Amino acid sequence: MLFLAACGGGEPSPQETVVTDSLLTTDTGQNRVLQLGGRNFSIPSPVQAAFAIRNAGLKYDPSLLTDTRKATSMTSRSTRAMALGMLGADMAYVTVHRDGQKALATLQAIERASAQLDLSNAFDKALLERFKNNLSSEDSLLRFSGLAFRAADEYLKNNDRIDVSTYVLVGGWIESLHLTIADPAAGQDQALMARVGEQRRALDDLIHLVGALPSEDQDITVLSGLKALYGTFSGITSTYVYEAPVTEVASRTTFINSKTEVVITPDQIATIVAQVKELRTKILV
Amino acid sequence: MRPTILSILLYVATCATTYAQSLCAPVADRCEDHITAQYIPDGQFYRALLQGDEVADFGMTLFGGTTYRLAACSGDSDGLLLFAVYDRDRNLLFTNKEHSAAPYWDLAVANTLEVTVEAHLDPARSGSGCAVLLVGFKK
Repeated sequence: MLFLAACGGGEPSPQETVVTDSLLTTDTGQNRVLQLGGRNFSIPSPVQAAFAIRNAGLKYDPSLLTDTRKATSMTSRSTRAMALGMLGADMAYVTVHRDGQKALATLQAIERASAQLDLSNAFDKALLERFKNNLSSEDSLLRFSGLAFRAADEYLKNNDRIDVSTYVLVGGWIESLHLTIADPAAGQDQALMARVGEQRRALDDLIHLVGALPSEDQDITVLSGLKALYGTFSGITSTYVYEAPVTEVASRTTFINSKTEVVITPDQIATIVAQVKELRTKILV
Repeated sequence: MRPTILSILLYVATCATTYAQSLCAPVADRCEDHITAQYIPDGQFYRALLQGDEVADFGMTLFGGTTYRLAACSGDSDGLLLFAVYDRDRNLLFTNKEHSAAPYWDLAVANTLEVTVEAHLDPARSGSGCAVLLVGFKK
């Protein structure tokens, strides 16, 4: 407590050394670049994957979801966090498919899983109540869900619990990929497969994030599973062609028209399906 | 009792966390207002403590057929944080520097691409502070 009282506050003077939290500084010439946890990242939201699945016209299959009892009976901090991320991805999946009953059950599991991680205070109670009161509104549910997970992420980063923040992202990403590719019909949808192929950077970011954690916080099983998956992803080819963007000032919008083409083979898809299944099984064992 | 190295490190880490939290929380709250009801928050929170000409960067994949809203905030008012979006070949796609340091902007993405967002304080208006970047999207 004395230490806390002695921490001080207020704006630093120009002479003061700025506390960089978990930031590392590297020199890249003119400007220095700050990196969070060794690397800044943005992992695609599970909600986007859920929309892509629905847009591809794949059949809604609740049997693909993580067993909520299993998800809330994890014992280690990393598996609990990954289970929470998985439940978040499941929440997006059931919400865009308008399964209110599953959404409520998943929300209850999220509350239990977050309590196990001492995150109850992070998930804003008012938000969760609004969620429960808006089960018939897809847009509201998805927004509340995004706000709740952002609040949790902010809480974790503010409290120096980067490992939990990282594993929540890992779990959400794996579950989104599982939901996207588990249906064999997914392989017939070119747009959806391109979307899968475009996950390489996110996967690379996740590997770096887990790898940057202190060794005692690294889940080696998951890290090696992600690396094996990356081995497959690195064989996917993509080409990028820049096109000048167009900005519409009145609407504060820039239209980005550059083109990326991803080529992913049926064999690569089959390998990814098998690797994701294996990794998910290991997490939920 | 003399302080051990461990207790000193703990003290420094605690101060760092407390400092970042007190500095960033109000910025995040204000920034959230720019991710309006039409947008779904991406569920992540990005922050960096910046001083002078330091640049915070992060990479992200923008998916085709999606409109993203980026909100970039620092300090106690809008327009203190400059941000720019580059593609993987370092072509500049957008910078709010050309738009009066607008605190938010929409990117309507036709085809999926990997980008890097770089943010730094406007040196004319702020010497140091917490930079918060929030992302939302709509269908």
